[in-house]
Amino acid sequence: MDHTPMARDSDASDGSIPLRLFPSDLTARSLSAPFKVDEGYADDTRSQADKELLRSPSDDVMSIPDWVLAHSEAERAEIAYSLLRTLRTSTVAAVVERLSPLLHMDPVLRLPPEITAEIFSYLDPQTLVTASLASRAWRDRISDSRLWKELYIDEGWRVDIDAIRAFEQEHSGFPSPQSRKSRSRYADTDLGEPKQKKRVPSGWLDSRAQASEGNGSSTLGLNQQGHARSDREGDHLMSDAADDRSTLFSKETEDGYGHESTQEISSPTIERAPSKTTHSPLLLRMPNGSAKINWPYLFRQRRRLEDNWAKGRFTNFQLPHPSHMEEAHQECVYAIQFVGKWLVSGSRDRTVRVWDLNTKRLWHRPLIGHTKSVLCLQFDPRPSEDVIISGSSDKNVIVWRFSTGEKIHEIAPAHDDSVLNLRFDERYLVTCSKDKLIKIWNRKNLSAADKDYPSVQQGSGVLYPSYIVDTSEIPSPVLEAEIAKNHIRTLAPFSLLMTLVGHTAAVNAIQIDGDEIVSASGDRLIKVWNVRNGACMKTFVGHDKGIACVQFDNQRVVSGSNDNTIRIFDHASRAEVACLHGHADLVRTVQAGFGDPPGSEEALKLEALAVDRDFWNAQSSGEAVDLGPAALRRAGYLQNTAGSRNPRDIKALGASIPPGGGGSKWGRIVSGSYDESIIIWKKDRKGQWIVSQKLRQAEAAANASYIAHSNTSSSRSGPGNAFALAQQAAQATQTQGPSNSSQPSSSTFVTHALNNLQQGNSNPNSSFSTTPQQTEPPNRPTPPPGPPLTSLLAAANYYTHPRARLLAQAATPTSRIFKIQFDARKIICASQDSRIVGWDFVGADEELEEACQFFMGL
Amino acid sequence: MAEKTLIMESNDGKKIEVPIDVASRSILIKNMIDDLPEGAFEEAIPISNVSENVLTKVIEWCTHHRSDPPSSGDDDDTRRKTTDIDEWDQKFMQVDQEMLFEIILAANYLDIKPLLDIGCKTVANMIKGKSPEEIRKTFNIQNDFTPEEEDQIRRENEWAEDR
Repeated sequence: MDHTPMARDSDASDGSIPLRLFPSDLTARSLSAPFKVDEGYADDTRSQADKELLRSPSDDVMSIPDWVLAHSEAERAEIAYSLLRTLRTSTVAAVVERLSPLLHMDPVLRLPPEITAEIFSYLDPQTLVTASLASRAWRDRISDSRLWKELYIDEGWRVDIDAIRAFEQEHSGFPSPQSRKSRSRYADTDLGEPKQKKRVPSGWLDSRAQASEGNGSSTLGLNQQGHARSDREGDHLMSDAADDRSTLFSKETEDGYGHESTQEISSPTIERAPSKTTHSPLLLRMPNGSAKINWPYLFRQRRRLEDNWAKGRFTNFQLPHPSHMEEAHQECVYAIQFVGKWLVSGSRDRTVRVWDLNTKRLWHRPLIGHTKSVLCLQFDPRPSEDVIISGSSDKNVIVWRFSTGEKIHEIAPAHDDSVLNLRFDERYLVTCSKDKLIKIWNRKNLSAADKDYPSVQQGSGVLYPSYIVDTSEIPSPVLEAEIAKNHIRTLAPFSLLMTLVGHTAAVNAIQIDGDEIVSASGDRLIKVWNVRNGACMKTFVGHDKGIACVQFDNQRVVSGSNDNTIRIFDHASRAEVACLHGHADLVRTVQAGFGDPPGSEEALKLEALAVDRDFWNAQSSGEAVDLGPAALRRAGYLQNTAGSRNPRDIKALGASIPPGGGGSKWGRIVSGSYDESIIIWKKDRKGQWIVSQKLRQAEAAANASYIAHSNTSSSRSGPGNAFALAQQAAQATQTQGPSNSSQPSSSTFVTHALNNLQQGNSNPNSSFSTTPQQTEPPNRPTPPPGPPLTSLLAAANYYTHPRARLLAQAATPTSRIFKIQFDARKIICASQDSRIVGWDFVGADEELEEACQFFMGL
Repeated sequence: MAEKTLIMESNDGKKIEVPIDVASRSILIKNMIDDLPEGAFEEAIPISNVSENVLTKVIEWCTHHRSDPPSSGDDDDTRRKTTDIDEWDQKFMQVDQEMLFEIILAANYLDIKPLLDIGCKTVANMIKGKSPEEIRKTFNIQNDFTPEEEDQIRRENEWAEDR
């Protein structure tokens, strides 16, 4: 490619020779303007290095007679050797000593930037940081933005590439797309940003061939071509990154939607970046005034953020804002989801609430419509979707307009029992229920000719409503005619498409990813279904008790269960690749980010194969590996199930991911349990999952309300604050009751459908939430939980009597975790508490705060 | 020798006859061959930036690897992490630093990606696991930082130390 010659063409006195053969080609390659600059550089280094070496350095070396120089190199070597032989050994040694630096030469001076970039691309961040201390030149070469972008992506971290692009655009003063050309050109040359990505960009050889045929000796044509190409390459890199992101295991929003568009709708309270960002270390200023993101800096900040996670450095916050406690849910919160600055919550108080995470305030009035607890929800704030869908123990599903809070649609009833979970994408809504069924609904008008129309599979445990036609049985012209004649009607949004029958207990959790649905049930099974025809494709067996939560991608399935464990299964082979012990009670909610770097799937397969091979080797060499867990236990061996690769710890062979599930070293699982704790799991150096942090909801709540205290005392004149304070004061006294007198208040929670998970524990034969008497009968009034602000009171209590909270906590569970979600910087948790609390691992670090706008989860 | 050959001419005027499949390890040469009609190679092809001793070395590599499958040309993402080098290539790369860098530059110029990769890996391996002072020694680098600057950079780099 055209960088190629620059290192050496400069001293090519005979550079004209190839011109005779390939005039257009080589002229362009050596003369194209962007590379002139670098050639000058290469020229310098060569003259320095070569000439010095050949004709001795000028410094303090005597001049050599011409007759000596007239000899050939071999002869000169012979002369030198003979001369040296006349010297005493110690003198020879001194000469050797003096010569030896000449045998060592600096690659940064000898090699052009794109080659050193290639060299550096083989090194890990730590080595690079060390090497950057070698000299200024090394430091400059190593702080190459592209290099660190690759390193960043290779760590398995993700960025919001759209936000970065927008940020660069905003600070560049190049509003039009035409400017991109000149920008990338400058970026490629003046800044010395070498292209380490590709030496021979795809398509170059072809276009080069065309050019040499067509353009004759026109260098102009090739110059243009060169620019156009580098521009296209820029695009290519960008779209690469964007693609990578979309294929990675993103649980940023749990529905696969990025949050790149959220700023569009953040209408009234748009936070403009403070003006200091113009001088922010986040930006590199190009000579032409355009701005580029500073990848080395971004890498460093991300690293610091990850360290905060590892070391448990965080600040706590809560919803509502402590000085607006009147905005809180009135009872415990079962469901939350956040996307960008928005968080939507659903509570036992039957409402859905929309929060602004920046202000920690309620966005609009609580959404009222459900007649019982809101158990599950999902939302999409993008203007194109603008929707919240919620499911309730009133058996109904309600569709709301996100931006206004109005009720658009209600499916009543959606199921014969509580709707325990729901997920939607652009095409379908999938709901699951305590009635053991999973139902699929269309979100948009759907005609029988539409590709998203169900394809009927007879006799496969799928029930289709009578209005669903088997399109495979109707020749397509007939189908079209029937549709035209309106004999087959277009389905209105939220029509039932099919019902998936298969689980023998309540279906507690579902997720949808592409054409697959994964479901987790009280019957201890996880099933994967095809969303188009409803066929059950796979069943995963492993948990000893009912399963409460599940998450999957195309490589692994992660689930949390009433057996207190989290298990990771290989999606392809269904092998269990890890089982994490750490919770003391039902694992109610889990989210995993494996941090897969792009293209890691193949590497994981190879790792898994190596593990299998080790197992067979160990077995054939007579080690006691193939005994099965029970036999191993009897033999006194306790299997490590958290991702150990020791052959004795392997539970299943033939997986396409290694023990532990693979992913980068930054991989993270966060789980929430009825033991009132949240565990952050990380991998140790051997790739085994270990507990990194154990967080307590109650402590976070206390921290958050402590902040509340200081906040309110500093601004207590406002009427809203006065209200909150009065409320808190009044409630503080009431709280003493429930928290000291053990059971009653908590027992009101337990009646709830999902809390039945817990009760399953006491009934060894049945998995949870299946027995009818544990469900809420249709007409039974919601059990009176006492004063609606019970747990809020507890909150107020915390800051007045910090010790009382610890006592109370020991007595009755008050902060069972129902739902967690994490992104790059924070965990937010819904629990038995009516407040939603969060852990923000940015702490009070302004630099990190600023960089965080571009970070996405794992 | 019945096989087809072409002649490469180094920048110090030495002509070397090379089988076409060997020379074709160089994408630069390969494209010339592909672009030109038969018999256009009676003249020597000037390799304007490569001296005889380096060119000989490069041809030695190409000869050893003449029947390797052609590289896909794509940057695969798995390549990055490993700096493992094939045993023969390792021996091949046991040369003085000047020759090493010359081979890298020649591989770059001639567009022989696998050879360039091996060269880069070799240099990368020379950097790995060394302290800044050791790196300076290895490559005869003058430390041009003031002690204060060095301190400052060390502090900035603290994030990389653990884990």
